[in-house]
Formats: sequence, structure tokens, C-alpha cells
Amino acid sequence: MGKTVYLKDTAITGKDRTRDFYGVFLGILREKGLESEVQLVRVADIGIYGQGIVVRILPEGFLYTNVQDADIPAIITESLIGGKPIEGKSSLHPSRQLRIVLRNCGIIDPESIEDYIAQDGYQALAKVLGSYKPEKVAEEMKASGLRGRGGAGFPTGAKWEITRKAAGTQKYIICNGDEGDPGAYMDRSVLEGDPHSVIEGMIIGAYAIGASKGYFYIRAEYPLAIERIEKAIKQCRDRGILGQNILGSSFSLDLEIRLGAGAFVCGEETALIASIEGKRGYPSPRPPFPSIKGLWGKPTCINNVETLANIPVIILKGAAWFAGIGTESSKGTKVFAVTGKVKNSGLVEVPMGTAIEDIVYGICGGALSGKSVKAIQTGGPSGGVIPKEFFQTKVDYESLQKMGSIMGSGGMIVMDEDDCMVDIAKFYLGFCVDESCGKCAPCRIGGTQMLRLLVRVTDGEGTQKDLEQLEQISVAMQKASLCGLGQTAPNPVMSTLHYYRAEYDAHVNKKKCPACKCEHLIRFMIMSEKCVKCGMCFKACPVGAISGNRESGYLIDQTKCTRCGQCFEVCKPRAISRS
Amino acid sequence: MTKMTLKDLEAIKQKQNAPDRNWIKVGFSTCGIAAGAREVYDTLVEESRKHNADVEIKKCGCVGMCSAEPLVEVHVKNMPTVFYGKVDKEAATKIMEKHVCGKMLVNDRIYDLKLK
Repeated sequence: MGKTVYLKDTAITGKDRTRDFYGVFLGILREKGLESEVQLVRVADIGIYGQGIVVRILPEGFLYTNVQDADIPAIITESLIGGKPIEGKSSLHPSRQLRIVLRNCGIIDPESIEDYIAQDGYQALAKVLGSYKPEKVAEEMKASGLRGRGGAGFPTGAKWEITRKAAGTQKYIICNGDEGDPGAYMDRSVLEGDPHSVIEGMIIGAYAIGASKGYFYIRAEYPLAIERIEKAIKQCRDRGILGQNILGSSFSLDLEIRLGAGAFVCGEETALIASIEGKRGYPSPRPPFPSIKGLWGKPTCINNVETLANIPVIILKGAAWFAGIGTESSKGTKVFAVTGKVKNSGLVEVPMGTAIEDIVYGICGGALSGKSVKAIQTGGPSGGVIPKEFFQTKVDYESLQKMGSIMGSGGMIVMDEDDCMVDIAKFYLGFCVDESCGKCAPCRIGGTQMLRLLVRVTDGEGTQKDLEQLEQISVAMQKASLCGLGQTAPNPVMSTLHYYRAEYDAHVNKKKCPACKCEHLIRFMIMSEKCVKCGMCFKACPVGAISGNRESGYLIDQTKCTRCGQCFEVCKPRAISRS
Repeated sequence: MTKMTLKDLEAIKQKQNAPDRNWIKVGFSTCGIAAGAREVYDTLVEESRKHNADVEIKKCGCVGMCSAEPLVEVHVKNMPTVFYGKVDKEAATKIMEKHVCGKMLVNDRIYDLKLK
């Protein structure tokens, strides 16, 4: 294979110099008569950010950052002709990602069982059915240290063991695919990209606990995931991987799909069980835990999609291998769905214990277009925010909890300087109020009252007493709510109050929104001394609140203005003030 | 269909992994489809017919870089395997003409994803 050179200007500010640099590099290659042997390519993204011009040489992978025109001849003679890195200047820049759950996503055709089998698919199942006793499977899981990826982090091996030991002959296994956190879609991607890995994990789990029947609970909003799981189940049945005597063994299991109808609370395991039973999706008090008394009163094990996708790999590579990845208390990897105001939004799978800054800046390239990152939010409506000052925090269950957030299912929403923290808290609380099932009073009434107080604050009518009350209700909800939804609903408020008290105070005391987001606390004005009378704001205003013409200039009618900010965005000379 | 045993699993694995062929994979999860993967896929199939290209065009799940969808991974013998991001009809045509047939990488479209 000939050599290939990737080029990209990764500087965050200033003009993109990729093309100029490409020209210079190509010129030097031509001088040396190498243009037919070396392929020079401008790439759209090189996986490194803010380090000037980056050059990567393939197939070796030598990497040079902050390259100047003067460095080109040395790179050509040393690396392209000599095939060696320049001492002290080249780095190999290994990937920060480690893909266990996403191992096949984007690699195989999800609708082909042969593709999955070619990637060692169902080998773990064959190994388990051939040579493991059910107790040993649970032991293996315990030894691996795998914890539930749905958010709570309960050890999977222990859950399997409890369900196995529970009295009763009929047992069930359920895959929880009711992924409801705003901004989280890891489970959807796994179900869509690698459905067989989840099925294999489920069969192994069913064998370990002694279940003969299993259910996929997938939200109806994921039509493609449902379609692919349906296809995969059918392929398995046809080939004897599901049904009677799986792979010729004495073990039998059948799987069925149940659809969630859009209720967030149905991701909570007792509500999920009620929903499968055909009842209204109400949670019920625990204990008894589903492992003892679950679906139709029988012992039931509920595992999350991501948890199940880990299992085949753990069986094949061994518990010790898995336990060697991650931190003391959190083993393996975690998939995050990084969204919001970030350059590269998408799924990221990193070993537990990776610093938040490595994810946000290193992998995802930091904030969008020149703004700076303010904080991230993890754990959805049950989680909290982590300000950028604490981005060296390592992601694992305990560290995130210490920061007042939670691991959650893996949503990571990046917020920049334009996001108001009170507004964020209001959004998440509003979500929980909408999704509260209404069964218990602390969640039903507490949530509504907290939302009322937050609306007062963002409307500029809040007082310090309101903030005190917010804290009091939060504590009451955390202590007295029936299920996880109510217990964790105040978390976004508590965590923003803790880290961004000053922002709340500004709303209450000065009636100002520091991020200029809360529409009742800001106003847009045209500064006539800066205005060039171009009329862009006039055209942009969707409600006709701007009047005037190109001779006399323009004026914003504050009674009509909806504070959408579109005039502010389009104004080139920055003649519109926002305060 | 007959029920599978461990031996069948091995046989399928051998068969699937055997030859080193040229292939193109198009991300076909919700994110890819929403960004226009279907059109890209159809264009690639059509163009490969037009050029009588020796390449298999496949569908796959989401590799994770959803903001760069539609993502197309191209593997041509004796060339680096690359991801093209934000591929549209025009880019798909170029990929087939330049990369698959002309053995030249296409400028300004490659996303250097390091997944392993």
C-alpha cells in the first residue's frame, strides 16, 4: 500500500488554513517527484481539536500536531520516505474509546444473523450451554463486577443469583428498552445496530436464572429498533437459537416483544411489569423486589439493553478481563449519548474512570462554533449538572454521585454560556411533572409546586423565600416519593441550586437572567449609534415587532416583542443589545 | 430450517470471514436514515452498476458519530479503510467514481474516526 497523508487545520479560531497548507505540501511533493506515490487528502475531521494543522501519515499512523510549512520537508524525508516518526514530534494518539457494547454497531449488518455469528456471535451462548452450570454464569458475572447500565448500578451477578434462588418454577427475564431520558439514545442504537448481542445476553441471563420466557419491553417510539428485534427473534427461532432445546441443549426459552406506550415512568421496573401485565403503568412499593415477586407474581429479572449487550463479551473473554477495565467500583465501559451544544454529537463508549473533559473536549471536540462550554448534565431528569470547573471528574457511579449528579442511563447534554441554569432546572422538572403518574402525593403535588416556584423565579417574581421553599420541597420529595421518578425529580433543581446559586440570586434579587435566556427578564434594544439601517432585524422578526425603514432606522416595539432573539442573531454590526 | 449446533456456528463464521472483498457500508440506523442514508445507498447502488464496479454495498448500524451522518465506510483493497461523513448524492457519486474506481481518496469528506 502506498502512503496516505491526512491534513486538517484544527484551530478553533481564525481562517481555515487547510487548503493553503495542502497546496504547499503538494508543491513540495511535486518538487521531489513523489506526487504519484503519496496520496494527500484534506479530511473533514481528524479526531483532534484545537492543535493547529494536524498531519497524519497512514498506514503507520504517525501524527504531527501544530505543523508549520517549514516542517513539511522533514516529515516527507523522515516519515514518508524513511518510514519513521520524527523523534519527539510524533505521537500515535491512541483512541480514548473502547468499544465493548458498541463492538458490532456500524460493523455488521444488523439484519443478518450470519454477520453477527461471523463476529463470534452466539459463541458465548454455546460456551455457556455446553460447559457452564447456571450458578457458574452468575458467579462469572459477579466476578466481572458488571453493574446495571440503566442508571442505578445494581450488580448484575447478584441480581441473577437472587432471582435464581427465589422460590418458584416459572421465572421471567425482561429486557428494559424503555429508554426515556431526554437526549439519551444509547439503547436505541444498540437495538438497531446489533440486536443479536442483546438477545444473546438475554438467553444467557435466562439460563442463569432459570427462566423459560422473556420479554423485550421497547418503547413504541423506536419503530426501527422494534422491527430489527422482531427480525432477529425470528431468525433465532428459525435456527434453533430460541425455542425448544436451544443449540441442541436441554435449555428452552422464548422471547416476545411488548411495546411501551410513551410513559416515562414505565422504565421503572415495577411500573414496567404492570405495563406488561396489561395494567396501568403505576409503580408499586418495593420490597417485594421483582427478583422475588415480579411479573404475574413470579420471580423476574429486569436488565437494561446495554447491560445485556455486555454479557456475551464477558463470557467469551472472561470475568477477569472485564474486571481489569474501569475503576475500583465500576468495571467495564459506559456508552454516553453526548448531545447539546457540542461539536460532535453522538455515541461515545469509554472505559469507566475516563475524565469528563476527555469526553467533552477530547472526543467530542468541545463547544459548537466559538462559544465556551458551561456545564454538562448527566442522568436526564434524575441527574444533575456538573460545571466545567469539575470536568476532571472521572465518570463512574460513585464519582458522579459525589458531584450531585448520577450516571443514569448515559445521556450527557452539553450546555454553553447561553444556557440559563434556572431554565434548565425548569425544563427537567417540567418533564417529571408531565410524566408523574400521580399515584403518590409527594411527586404529584411536590413536583407541581416546585415547578410553580421555578416559573415565578424565571418570570422575575421570585423571592429568596421561594428558593428556600424549593429546597424544602426537594427534600420532602426525595424522602417520601414512592418510586425513583419522584425521588430523583428534584435532583436537577438541587444540583443547579448548589452550583449556580448566584444565577438564582440574580433572577430573584436583581430580576436579571445572566445567560439572557429567560424571556421575562430580558429586552432587546436597537442601539442607534451602531445601527447601519440594513433592515436585517426587520426581516427576521417573526411577529412584526420591529418597525421603521432604511432611512429613519428601526425600533423594537417592546409590547409586541416575544424575546425570541432572532434579530440579535442576524444583526451583523451587533447593534442590538440584550440585557 | 434445520436447527443449528455449535459446528454450524463455526461453519458460518468461516464462510463469512473468508474473502477480502471491496465493500461499502452505509449507516442505516435512525440517525443515518433521518440524515438521508436511503438516498445515498440508492445512489451508490446505481453508480456501482453504471461503473460495473467490483464492490459490495451493505447496510450497517450506527458507528456513533451521529452528527456526521450519513456515514459511509469504504474499504477498497490496497487503500486505507475510511469513513466519509455528511455524504449526499453528489458525494456518493464522487466516492464511487474517484475512490472505488479511481483509487483516489475524496477530499474534504473524510472523518478520521478512531473506534478501536
